[in-house]
Parts: sequence; C-alpha cells; structure tokens
Amino acid sequence: MRGPPGMMETIAASKCPRCDMVVAPPATYCPYHPVAMVPATLSGVGEIVSFTTLHMPPEGFRSPLHIALVELDGGGRFVCHGAGTRGLKIGATVAIEAVDDVYYFSHLGALERARLFWRRAGHAGDRVNAIARSLTKRVWKGRQRAAR
Amino acid sequence: MQRVFVAGVGMTRIGRRSEPLPALMAEAARAALADAGLEEPDAIVIATMNPEEFVGDGNFASNVATHMGFSDVPAVRIETATSSGAAAFYMGFAQIAAGLRRTVLIVGGEKMTHLATPKVSEIIGRSIDPYERTYGATMPALAGLVTRALMTRQGVTAREISQVAVKNHAHGARNPLAHFRQAVRIEEVLESRMVADPLRLMHCCPISDGAAAVVLSADRAPVRVAGVGHGADTLAVRHRLELTSFAATRAAAREAYAMAGFGPERVDVAEVHDAFTPFELISLEDLGLIPPGKAGRATLDGETALDGRLPINPSGGLKARGHPLAATGVAQLVECVWQLRGSAEGRQVANASRALAHSIGGLATNNWVTLLEGA
Repeated sequence: MRGPPGMMETIAASKCPRCDMVVAPPATYCPYHPVAMVPATLSGVGEIVSFTTLHMPPEGFRSPLHIALVELDGGGRFVCHGAGTRGLKIGATVAIEAVDDVYYFSHLGALERARLFWRRAGHAGDRVNAIARSLTKRVWKGRQRAAR
Repeated sequence: MQRVFVAGVGMTRIGRRSEPLPALMAEAARAALADAGLEEPDAIVIATMNPEEFVGDGNFASNVATHMGFSDVPAVRIETATSSGAAAFYMGFAQIAAGLRRTVLIVGGEKMTHLATPKVSEIIGRSIDPYERTYGATMPALAGLVTRALMTRQGVTAREISQVAVKNHAHGARNPLAHFRQAVRIEEVLESRMVADPLRLMHCCPISDGAAAVVLSADRAPVRVAGVGHGADTLAVRHRLELTSFAATRAAAREAYAMAGFGPERVDVAEVHDAFTPFELISLEDLGLIPPGKAGRATLDGETALDGRLPINPSGGLKARGHPLAATGVAQLVECVWQLRGSAEGRQVANASRALAHSIGGLATNNWVTLLEGA
C-alpha cells in the first residue's frame, strides 16, 4: 500500500461477486451484472486517471473547479475535487481525504491540505456559516437516505 | 424484415429561433411530408430531450401531433438524452421493418436559446450520473476528462482537436441552414477561452434551437435504410473501463454494419457526433472509419474535409450546424439523405452512395449508428 500511514481515509465501496468490479461509492447492483454487490472498503490512495479544471462550474461551485478521476488502490474509480492541478500528471499517486463529506485529492502535502479546508470553509466568507451549512446538508442527506 | 426507405426529409434553419418548439417541429415535419408527397403518416415518433424543463411542456408527442393537425395519428415520444433523434428514427424504422406501419413521420426538435447558458448546462447536465453531478460534473467537465486522457495517453495534439473545428466551420459556411456560417482560423480555436482544461470554447458545440424530420416508408424511394445499431454503456463515467474510446459507439457500429452487410470501408460520407471536437476523432476510430491512433493526423491532412478521401460532417456537424439536442440525430440523417440524393447544394460529396450517421447520447451512454444507402 502506498501513501503515508496514519492519515489514510477509508472509502466505502462495493464489489460485484460475479466480475469482481469495485465501485465507489457503493452501488446496489453491479453496473455490468444484475447481481447485488457486496460491501467493500478502499483506502484513500490512488492514481490519477484524468483531471480537468472547469472554468464555468455549475451553480454552487466556485471557479476554477478542479475535478479528478482517480483509480483507487484495490480497484474502483472515484470522482473528487482538488485544490489545484498545477504540476499534476496522469498516473500520479494522490491521497484522498474527506472534508465535510466531500472528497478531495491531494498530491501537495499537509500545508495544501490545510488550505483546502480553509478555502472551503471560507466559501461564504465565514467559517460558522460553512459549518452550519455542512450540518444542514448532513441532516438533509440523512433524510434522503431514509426516504429511499 | 420489411425493407425501409426514406421517402422525405426536412429541417429548419438551426440557430436562435423565436418560434415556439411545436412550430419549429411542424416546420420540419411539413417540409419532410411535402418532400415525401404524403399528407398524413400512419404514425409519428417525436424526439425531444427535455421539453418539460426547456419550454415547460410535457406530453409532447400529443402536443406536437395536435399542433400539426394530426391529433388522431398515433404518436409517441422517445428520449435517450442527446441521441434522442437517432433513437426516434430507430423506433420508426422498427415499426415499418416489422410490418406494423407503412409510413412513419419522425421529428426531433429542441429549443434552448431563450434560457441563460448556466441554466441550459444544468438541464443538459441532468443526463449525467447524479453522484458525479454532486462534484460539479457537467458535460464539458466530463469531456475535459476524456480529452486530457486522449491527449496524454494517445498523443492527440491541441492542433488536431482544433482542426476538427476549423474543418467543420468551413463546411458549415456552405450550409444555409447551419447555426455558424463563418470559417474560423486554427489560431482562433487554439486561443479561445478555456472551458474545461484542456477543452476550449471553440472545441464545444453551440446552444441551438431547431428541428429536423424524416418520413420513412415501406414503399420504394431513392434512399434505403441499410442498417441501424444501438450501443449502451454505464451512466457513470467512473464505472467505465476506458475513457478514450466509447464502447457504446463500437457496439452500435458492429450491429449496424452486420445488419447492412457491409463495413466501414464502404462508407462514402459520415455525420459524426462532434459535440466536443475530440469526440469526432474518438468516434472516427470507434466506427472503424480511420485506423486506431490515426484520426488526428488524418484530420490535419485534410482526409476528412469536404474534398478529402472521407468527408466527415459535410453539414458542419454539431460544431457548426448546431446542436438542438433531440433534433441533431435526425438532422444528421437529413444531411446524409441530401448527400445520397446529390442535392446537398454547395457541399455535395461526389458520388456518395453510402452514408453513416453517428449519434451520442449523454456522455456516450446511449449511442446509435445508422447506415443509409442509395437504393
């Protein structure tokens, strides 16, 4: 396993008992087979499959928006955000961390990761708002899941 | 299987249109019916991707049929995101091939330019996997991921993806119905605003209004439907095993070529889904029209230009003719029919006897390949 120990995020995934395909986040059925998937856990380390910087992101996201597709160790491709893509290359190893339930890739060291958190927290100009929003989102998401 | 012929085609000028969507669709449909010399079809298949959100109306098959004076003709609406027009064509084709109907009118249309661009992007984006959308994924964002992989892993260059735009604009300049009718220089494309790095504004198709229609018939006509194929892939891009080739196109092509009994080497002209210019390069290889890894070079060498070995998108493609979503799949077939009949004035491909239309739905989740042949 790559990446520094002790700061590894775990990512919930699922695996197809027939073809061994792993998807994250977990899905009920395998995208390629009509069989129920079984739960799996992946570590938050992987390889950049591709990335882009969106200069006209949809409402609710700030510009520029960095999006990456990451192939996680143990299989499964994952979509996540990042603080920047300068110097990033396809094939680079990145760590993935969750901040307020949103996953970010990082190849930039601890300082950059800290900045990520503040950047997101500073979205509306102050940190309290961000935390309140995140809590609301959690509650709302919880309801959504319960309704399913 | 009953043989199926194209009896008539019609389309509106594509671009910014002030008429309501049913009026645009009626304009295209009436042109196709007049072309076929038919007053009333046995059945109608309507394609609109999202009229509920774009124009606020639903039950759109009845809406359009009634508007045209066909309220008593059986009409259905088909939707497979951006390939809805091609899907509707297949449904019309299948009804005649099965012997259920003698004539079917297929009409696709969309109206979007009255809404602000972010709203249009949001509505189109609903065809993306919901989880990926929570990360801000839009069609240009996913196309940006595909393009970066294409350039890094397959060595496709910015010049190659830009030349597709130059070529298709040059073709569009010759098409009186195209949204964009002016040629562009490669420098303008290379220097246009970055949208989803490395994808720039002029690598992307415009937002357009318009409609296109086809009348299919069991009675002999100058153009025959030789083969139709449909391929599908995962809704989520992260579930794909590959980014730089579309499995849905390859599956659709296999099915269409098998039905037609001929392969890509017999195709004289093609309309290919270039919503983003790198998609034209990917698709040319997926369709077997250009050997793997050669589409960029072939484009720079002019092989796919109007006067080249294999003219691609003589209409201007989605890039220059425009992309009124569900109209597009039908508009591609209209262009193919005009090319096969020798009536594509100003942009006629010499001696075209077999044409291919390729339509991508969503981010290549629902793709279609249709082969037409001079009968």
